[in-house]
Amino acid sequence: MKRRTLLRKREFTVFGLIVVLAVVFSLTTERFLSVSNLTNLLLQLAGTAIAAIGMTMIIITGGIDVSIGSMLGMSSVVAGKLLMGSAPVFSVVLAAMGVGLLMGLVNGFLIAYGKIPPIIVTLGMLNIIRSLLFQLLGGRWVSGIPPAIRVIGLGKWLGIPISMWITVILIVFFSYFLNSRSLGRAIYALGNNPEAARVSGVNLAKTTLFVYTVTGILVGFAGLIYVARTGIVQTNTGTGFELEVIAAVVLGGTSILGGKGTVIGSLLGAFLVGIIKNGMVLLNVPALSEGLVIGALILVSVVIDVVRARGERL
Amino acid sequence: MRRIVGQIVENRMLFLLVLLLILFIVFSFGVPGFFTFYNLTNMTQYGVELGLLAMAEMLVILSGGGGIDLSVGSMLTLVAMVIGVLIGRAGLNPSLSILVGLLTGVGMGYVNGVLVSYLRILPLIVTLASLYIYKSLALIVAVDPRFGPNPMPVSNFPETFYFVGQYRLGGIPFQVLFIFIPVILILWFLLEKHAFGRYLYGVGNNETAAFFSGINVRRTRLTVYTLAGFLAALSGWIITSRIASARPDVGLGYEMQAITIAVLGGVNIKGGEGTIGGVIMGVAIITLLYNGMQLAGIHQIWQLGSLGVVLVGSVLLNQMLLARRKF
Repeated sequence: MKRRTLLRKREFTVFGLIVVLAVVFSLTTERFLSVSNLTNLLLQLAGTAIAAIGMTMIIITGGIDVSIGSMLGMSSVVAGKLLMGSAPVFSVVLAAMGVGLLMGLVNGFLIAYGKIPPIIVTLGMLNIIRSLLFQLLGGRWVSGIPPAIRVIGLGKWLGIPISMWITVILIVFFSYFLNSRSLGRAIYALGNNPEAARVSGVNLAKTTLFVYTVTGILVGFAGLIYVARTGIVQTNTGTGFELEVIAAVVLGGTSILGGKGTVIGSLLGAFLVGIIKNGMVLLNVPALSEGLVIGALILVSVVIDVVRARGERL
Repeated sequence: MRRIVGQIVENRMLFLLVLLLILFIVFSFGVPGFFTFYNLTNMTQYGVELGLLAMAEMLVILSGGGGIDLSVGSMLTLVAMVIGVLIGRAGLNPSLSILVGLLTGVGMGYVNGVLVSYLRILPLIVTLASLYIYKSLALIVAVDPRFGPNPMPVSNFPETFYFVGQYRLGGIPFQVLFIFIPVILILWFLLEKHAFGRYLYGVGNNETAAFFSGINVRRTRLTVYTLAGFLAALSGWIITSRIASARPDVGLGYEMQAITIAVLGGVNIKGGEGTIGGVIMGVAIITLLYNGMQLAGIHQIWQLGSLGVVLVGSVLLNQMLLARRKF
């Protein structure tokens, strides 16, 4: 019980920070509360938040995936190329997610059955996928992507972007899955104490394979959203995406040691990063200092945690 | 034969040496222009920059507790920009500027170390944050108000500045002779002959045991992160001198390559295990691979791909051979 209240507190801190920032930005800038700006904010958030769901599960198992930036790039390239060849939208969606699934499967298989540490596998894959992607693109851009797909990236329903609706549905689903399904609980068990989990009947290898594969599918979908939103794919699409997602997950209170974390926390983490980036643009703070603020924020939020944990022990 | 294979599998050094020899032989026969004195010495020039960063990762990963430094690429970049701006824009004396640059590196590493060892924040988080912060600072430093708000590279250095990165002595690049080899010797002495090495392996293997044997765990970790900053700074100085330009994006993605090389060299990602010899072997393999592929006319982007294949492949092969031997 104590652990749950602590978890809730962490998410509450992030939520509080978001509210404070939103108030500050709406008082200091005129455009923050405008419909176009808020829509823009949500549009940019969706991909990060969806990928963060998978990353949260991976980090809960005690693993990490630094290859998702390359994976995002790869599924964007596949989606972009197919769209240029005027493939039907439905098959493009399947292809983007299928490519993600395949890459996630390779990661998961090497980690679960090859018994290679996650950081090594995904470091390797980060580089391998980036090279393949370059080969596919031949050093050129894909641009002028037909508008049929753009509804996923830019379309709206009830005034809220469709990609955000999808994100919310996924968050709700995965929250339920992690809390109430046995496979979901197995993910926490694996991260908390693998040996104990194994003894109580959790199939460690299968659970690991599952987590990386699902992340692949989710990142594949995020890649699709990226193409649909920007209408362009470059060779460096997705570089640094892994760090942004890890930052969101960590800000959201998922412990990098495993066993602890929620997807809602990660969604809030993604919101926090997104709102800061957005606010800085509106305040005309040079984009150069964006990293400064995000980095400082990661440190501050973690230090607050450390200090609070000490206080509670007293 | 079985015995030989067994030894190669169990001894990481030997395994890497065989891999290196195979690559060397394949390139010597298969790639024209590879087996020449000029190419072989020229190659070492490129190995130095990544090599120093790989050494930094080795130290940090050895110290355990989830030790990793994602910020080496950013530290390298900020040092390059500090040196570049001080010499090229402020017109400061090059030696003094280089000193300030190196101290900047030490300072950044020290900050990482304090956050990791005294505030007890996990290294992945600390260095993820400092990756962003140092990269951002490098961009800010690179802005020249005279030419608008965008970060700009600096490239008007005096001739003397190119000495370390471009000159040779007896055909061997200056930075290999006077920086890389001394650094390796000092690190080798520290790790193998000095008490510091025993502390470091002790802390990496079992933090609690090390603590109760009277080792100052915090100071040991602080030292390695600070050293990592210094090594990244050296790399930033050399690269600026070699390419004759301080660029605000120069170290982009280097952290991943450096970690890859350290791990390829046999450093256990969980800490406490790995040798400087192994990492040197890792650096040699990757340098050879990059160079051979370049001469063979394979596009540069495949360098990264091959790096990934070598990393995953070598660990997997090792794992499989070990598993087979158990039967």
